[in-house]
Amino acid sequence: MSGKEFFVRRYEDLGWKYHDVELKQSIRINTMNADEADVVDRLRSRGIQLEKIPFLRHGYWVVKSKFSVGASEEYLLGLYSIQEAAAQIPASLFTELEGKVVLDACAAPGGKTVQLADLMGNKGVIVALDFDRRRLTALANHLERCRVTNTVVYNMDARRASKLDFEFDRILLDVPCSGNFVTDEDWFSRRTLKDVQRNARVQRQILSEASIALADKGEIVYSTCSLEPEENELNIDWALKTLDLVVQDVDCYGDRGLTNVFGKSLDSSVERCRRVWPGQTQGFFACKLKKRE
Amino acid sequence: MRRFNSGLTLDEKLFVKTLNTYFLVTDNVRRFVRRDFYYAGTYLGKMRGSIFFPSFLLLAMMAKRKANKIVVDERSAWLFICGRDVFKGGIVRVEGSGERGDYTLVLNQRHECLGFGRMAFNINEAKDREKVVVRNISDLGDFLRREKGSEPQQYR
Repeated sequence: MSGKEFFVRRYEDLGWKYHDVELKQSIRINTMNADEADVVDRLRSRGIQLEKIPFLRHGYWVVKSKFSVGASEEYLLGLYSIQEAAAQIPASLFTELEGKVVLDACAAPGGKTVQLADLMGNKGVIVALDFDRRRLTALANHLERCRVTNTVVYNMDARRASKLDFEFDRILLDVPCSGNFVTDEDWFSRRTLKDVQRNARVQRQILSEASIALADKGEIVYSTCSLEPEENELNIDWALKTLDLVVQDVDCYGDRGLTNVFGKSLDSSVERCRRVWPGQTQGFFACKLKKRE
Repeated sequence: MRRFNSGLTLDEKLFVKTLNTYFLVTDNVRRFVRRDFYYAGTYLGKMRGSIFFPSFLLLAMMAKRKANKIVVDERSAWLFICGRDVFKGGIVRVEGSGERGDYTLVLNQRHECLGFGRMAFNINEAKDREKVVVRNISDLGDFLRREKGSEPQQYR
């Protein structure tokens, strides 16, 4: 069960007609390091033309640039990060991050960790984990470049997060997933349904661990860049039934989550999730969860 | 920091260390630092042999206070972060000592720290605009070199 035809038929069954997508580059201003308007002006003076992304707080499309936006003085000073538009959504779904203790359970290479620090004004604490030690170097570089000072990093699998014995007010689960065809041109030839199902099992383990480490009135934001419902709506439906979590409403770009997946009816609250089909952005899925009171 | 004639003082009680790498943490962050941490709070730098090599975060902290500083024009700033040395003609202003052998921060005209170097000549004796006055030791372009793998990684 693999190949382009197989997956394209699945997407049609889920309500989306496949088409080729060309991603636009985007950046996010690190407002803890600079005034947003000032950064936009500086980049304009260098010949980098930006356009505000309407559904993101500090995100901009790169419309035109004389050179790589990853090589400017402003980038190296940490005044902005290169971050795909849909990837800027999950961290923005948390309420009241100021002063909180936050877990970023699958943090490397650090784009969302830096975004969290920015939203927190570099206050409070972020505990960032990643199981791949090689990727921790990229995470550490990212933190240093963007002048993040409120983060502690561990080389640790997210499935062991509760062993840290900390309680978290907010938990970001940007979990390892199958990805999607927009960011990987070989995706259709490399991925099988078995890969998707295997990833979904790992994601459930991570969700389970996070529910243990979550404070009573805390929030979990779960996100993937997968289009496959096994990694998205089906996992959330499982979490509602197994982990005693509830889905929160979010005001966010994207379509409502699917409550009927290949003939299976899910909990109606799964529609509070957000599913982004490829178009302006890559494919994405995000939702916010809390413990049932 | 003494080599930069820096006015920055840090409370060593707020330092945490792993292998040869030093970090500065607040009391709040320290509560979440266990013995097996990889990175914590403000990365200060690492020992390379017997010499302490400062991070860009530490350099930026020093730049906010009294220290040896060279402010360069826009073109020189760009060349510096590409790994080049600083020529006399590119210097806009000198603060602190401009003596040969001193370490100095290199800043752009917005007073943002781009890295540091060592004075190759006394600033007052270097008359030729094409003369190299500051030898580049570390610049922000290092972040790109690390990504490309052409520089030794900063962390273990």
